[in-house]
Amino acid sequence: MMKQRNRFRPFLLSVLLLSLAFCGAFSVRAQAQELRVTTAYKLMTLDPHYANLNENTSLLSHIYERLVYQDEQLNLKPGLATSWERLSDTQWRFKLRENVRFHDGSPLTADDVIYTIERIRDFLKPPSGGFQSYVSGIKSVSAADPMTVIVETKASAPTLPLSFSSIFIMPKPAEDFRTTEELNAGTDPVGTGPYKFAGWSSGETLKLVRNEDYWGGKPAWPTVTFRVIESPAARVAALTTGEVDVADSIPARDVGALKQRGAKVESVGAARVNFLQFDVASETLPGVTGKSGEPIANPFKNPMVRKALALATDRGILTDKILAGYGTPASQLFPTGLPGTSPNLVAEPPKYDEAKALLTKAGYPDGFNLVLAGPAGRYPGDGETLQAVAQSWARIGVTVQPTAAPFSVFNTKRAAGEYAAWYGGCSGEAVDIMLDALLASPDPERGAGALNYGNYRNEAFDKMLAKAESIPEGPERNKALADATEFVMADQPIIPLYHFHHIVGYGKRVASYVMHPRGWTTAMQTIPATE
Amino acid sequence: MKAEIIRVLGKPPYGPALTVSKIVLAAYILLALAAPAIAPQNPYDPLQIYGWEASSPPGTMGSGGYIYLLGTDGLGRDIVSTILYGLRISLLVSITSAAIAALIGLTAGVSAAYFGKWVDVAIMRLVDLQLSLPTILVALIAIVTLGPGIDRIILALIIAQWATYARVVRGVALSETGKPYMDAARLMRLPTSRIIFRHLLPNSIAPAVTLIPIEVGHAVALEATLSFLGLGVPIDKPSLGATVANGFQYLLTGQYWISLFPGLALAGLIASINLVGEDVRRRLDPRSRSI
Amino acid sequence: MALITVAMGRLSQAFLLLLVMSIIGFIGIHSVGNPVFNVVNIETATPEDIRRATIALGLDQPVWRQYLLFIGNVVTGNFGTSYIYHLPAFGLVMSKLPATLELASIAMLVAAPVGTVLGLLAGRRNGTLLDRSILKTSVFALSVPSFWLSMMLILLGAILTGWFPSGGRGSTVSLLGQEWSFLTWNGLWHLTLPALALAIPNIALIARLARSGTIEVEQLDFTRFCRAKGLSPRRILFRHTLPNISVPIVTIIGLQFGGMLAFAVVVESIFAWPSVGKLLIDSIQLLDRPVVMATLTFISVAFVVLNALVDLFYAVLDPRVRLST
Repeated sequence: MMKQRNRFRPFLLSVLLLSLAFCGAFSVRAQAQELRVTTAYKLMTLDPHYANLNENTSLLSHIYERLVYQDEQLNLKPGLATSWERLSDTQWRFKLRENVRFHDGSPLTADDVIYTIERIRDFLKPPSGGFQSYVSGIKSVSAADPMTVIVETKASAPTLPLSFSSIFIMPKPAEDFRTTEELNAGTDPVGTGPYKFAGWSSGETLKLVRNEDYWGGKPAWPTVTFRVIESPAARVAALTTGEVDVADSIPARDVGALKQRGAKVESVGAARVNFLQFDVASETLPGVTGKSGEPIANPFKNPMVRKALALATDRGILTDKILAGYGTPASQLFPTGLPGTSPNLVAEPPKYDEAKALLTKAGYPDGFNLVLAGPAGRYPGDGETLQAVAQSWARIGVTVQPTAAPFSVFNTKRAAGEYAAWYGGCSGEAVDIMLDALLASPDPERGAGALNYGNYRNEAFDKMLAKAESIPEGPERNKALADATEFVMADQPIIPLYHFHHIVGYGKRVASYVMHPRGWTTAMQTIPATE
Repeated sequence: MKAEIIRVLGKPPYGPALTVSKIVLAAYILLALAAPAIAPQNPYDPLQIYGWEASSPPGTMGSGGYIYLLGTDGLGRDIVSTILYGLRISLLVSITSAAIAALIGLTAGVSAAYFGKWVDVAIMRLVDLQLSLPTILVALIAIVTLGPGIDRIILALIIAQWATYARVVRGVALSETGKPYMDAARLMRLPTSRIIFRHLLPNSIAPAVTLIPIEVGHAVALEATLSFLGLGVPIDKPSLGATVANGFQYLLTGQYWISLFPGLALAGLIASINLVGEDVRRRLDPRSRSI
Repeated sequence: MALITVAMGRLSQAFLLLLVMSIIGFIGIHSVGNPVFNVVNIETATPEDIRRATIALGLDQPVWRQYLLFIGNVVTGNFGTSYIYHLPAFGLVMSKLPATLELASIAMLVAAPVGTVLGLLAGRRNGTLLDRSILKTSVFALSVPSFWLSMMLILLGAILTGWFPSGGRGSTVSLLGQEWSFLTWNGLWHLTLPALALAIPNIALIARLARSGTIEVEQLDFTRFCRAKGLSPRRILFRHTLPNISVPIVTIIGLQFGGMLAFAVVVESIFAWPSVGKLLIDSIQLLDRPVVMATLTFISVAFVVLNALVDLFYAVLDPRVRLST
């Protein structure tokens, strides 16, 4: 008997050691006053002008600031600029905030703004891009005095302040321009923001410390650590085990379990839309055939077909089942209620009989077959949506073969015209930017129609949109944009599906979290619990 | 040879687990064949799926007039039906790919052994190269390059598996070519094709055949893994592995049934194929040690 | 002399492997899609932005020219810059190494002793119920896909009991300029489930090897001698049987360790363990070609080196090999 036991000794010993190790694991406690956030936004560069992706801007917004901010309703409010004024059609004046200092102690002046704009417009070369479009219309920028910037544009630019709500101001160095490599590898990035850079590891962590001299008052958290965790399940796990105080991009289906374990959850409809889009220009389409497999002409040229399909789309399943309630059925590009949206457009439950009748009228009494493409795992619920749409459309005889591909593969094929109809996503800081990208006639000159892969052309709408865009910010402009949206949606060039919600979960050390449609995850939005 | 196979297969089974695994495997195959007849729902027909009944727990009454015995998945597909249909795809993919891979491996191995010289060098270099990498990586690279689809995944699995057969067959064929009867055949100036197909092939076929059941088991696991990584079968025609993957994201939410039941079915399938496969190999190939 | 021939053969095969891998990887990714769509923000970028970024990345060139350029750079030790992370690709792979190493090491540290002990036991009790159940369990453990095993571990260890986290790496400590998690309790806590998922198939494999070795050795004359001499069964098992079966075991440990370093892809993905295998999968899906190429190269080299190390061990451990040199 003894011998038997001895033989097991090494095994038992290792089991003992392991279990000891695990018991100790439970004693981990957070350091007081440190905010720990896990985010899906992998910070890829410290150059705030490198790429216009939330992945970068979300975390860099702690360090760098913008002249203009957007509030939760996407209305503009002062940032580093206290006021702005349109001097003429092509001229804007920005008054800078007094007594703002960069983290290196130097004061913010007009020169820094000029440097920033010139760096983006003239210095940075591709593959850096994305911010260029905000400043490419600027003819010159000058300082009227150290605290006043005059911006002259090539053409009328009523939304210049909105563009500036995306541009991070950098301090002007003694000479030359800072390169992206310098910013990534060399000296610490310096901005005016509420938190100072303390260290990073690309794609993994970002460490920040409080900027004690912040112009907007002392920030709430002495130190902030961001950990990038791309797997949603792991983010949820980190929050439930108390390793972090805040976790972003929580999958809707995990919210219930999170709440059960004592975490709190906030959500907001994102300023974006996911939709179905058709190739409405080509004569014939790959994957589109009649019911017995014979080739047919492009059915999507007929607006009645598009309307019928829209009527037969059950958005309720998408938002209630697939997004588990954390989505809003979409009838237009922005969630209804935000500036520039129409109150008259509402997402209705499916009307299969009406849809069927319309489809018959359009000449497809038996329906047709089509391949519906979409990216896999890019947007919440993308792959499932394709299949749910297939279920809906089958009820009016349209047989859908859903096909999902990795995002870049999907984009390569979509750009090459290999798809007949597809699922897509679009976002923007204002609704006119999205209208311009998604529904305006493609025009490389103007940069319009960048996402209009279906080649939808509607001159009357183009005119309405152009007119609306020439109106300065305000109710009048918003009304014009809403009218243009109503006009174009009557033609159903796309089928808006849903606005998914940004979901953030937080633990005991956080009192509340203020959501913003832009979807960034920041320490500024995190209000500490008083201990 | 034939006599030996019959003799070996006629032996009484070894141990109770094997009887169980044989019965289980037979049941799996029957269920797969009968799936369209016995499944309450055709999960590939969107008209039979009720999206509003998505994520129903086991035992819920469905609009189709039948009870969701194991619940529904996130799209409203009945889990029982999904398992049955997924089983068909898993078996179709793995058996087809294992059989074709065996054929290719057999041809390559025999050719290498018979022709020797540069043919041998070229084929075996390729085989060595491929076997020096884990199968999953080869399959992964193949499916990424080939793109999605059931035909593509079969192709990827063939690419990943043929080398194993080739190496085994070459070894046996090489020892056969050295035997006196081969010299006799050559001296008699029999045509090459006749020598290969009449003599070399039949004698080298046994090791390839013994490998097939085990490789089918590997193929099921490989296909499931690729599908799990989202690289395999089309999203609307999930195999068992893809069904488990779809359900995996619901695991944390407490909707355990979406992945647990298909997962158990998958594990049972793989285990029974492997147990039967090991037994077949042990009986047919006494030299092989059970590793 | 023989050693040099073997080494040259190894080297040439490694070189061939690298060449073939690089061509397949290059053409594979090229045929799949255009990485530029992951570089620009597709929701705001204009076709002009996309075109310029494509040119800037050199992706407008014919694929063979891109390949020659790549090879030229690799010869000078430059794998290029990650499209996604904007960091040197090889440095990125190296930064993932600690996570990979610690996971594989801990898994093997568990698997080797447990597997050996189980195998020895089963071999000694050849034919008993214990032996048969170890054998059958090992067939099962070896055949189920690792994602299934991982899923079950998450279900049992994380969801039902709440004992362990279901993913992520936990806290890390800096040592030698790298971040390690096995030095913190929290890190070890996170390591448990993924390490188990990697260890279980290896336990099964090692146990089977050890079992068949034990059965063979037990039948040899010298074991009978030992028994006749009155040595205790324990002493025979650990002093005589174990050294005699250690060669294949060490071989398989070495080979499996190499495999785990590089290809624990699935387990690492499921547990969101930020390591080399996960980097490979992510980079393949993001079409981040420089990183894919750097990872594949690293993996191939690691494989060759490990194989060589295994051979060396072979020579040290196996008396017959030692005698012949």
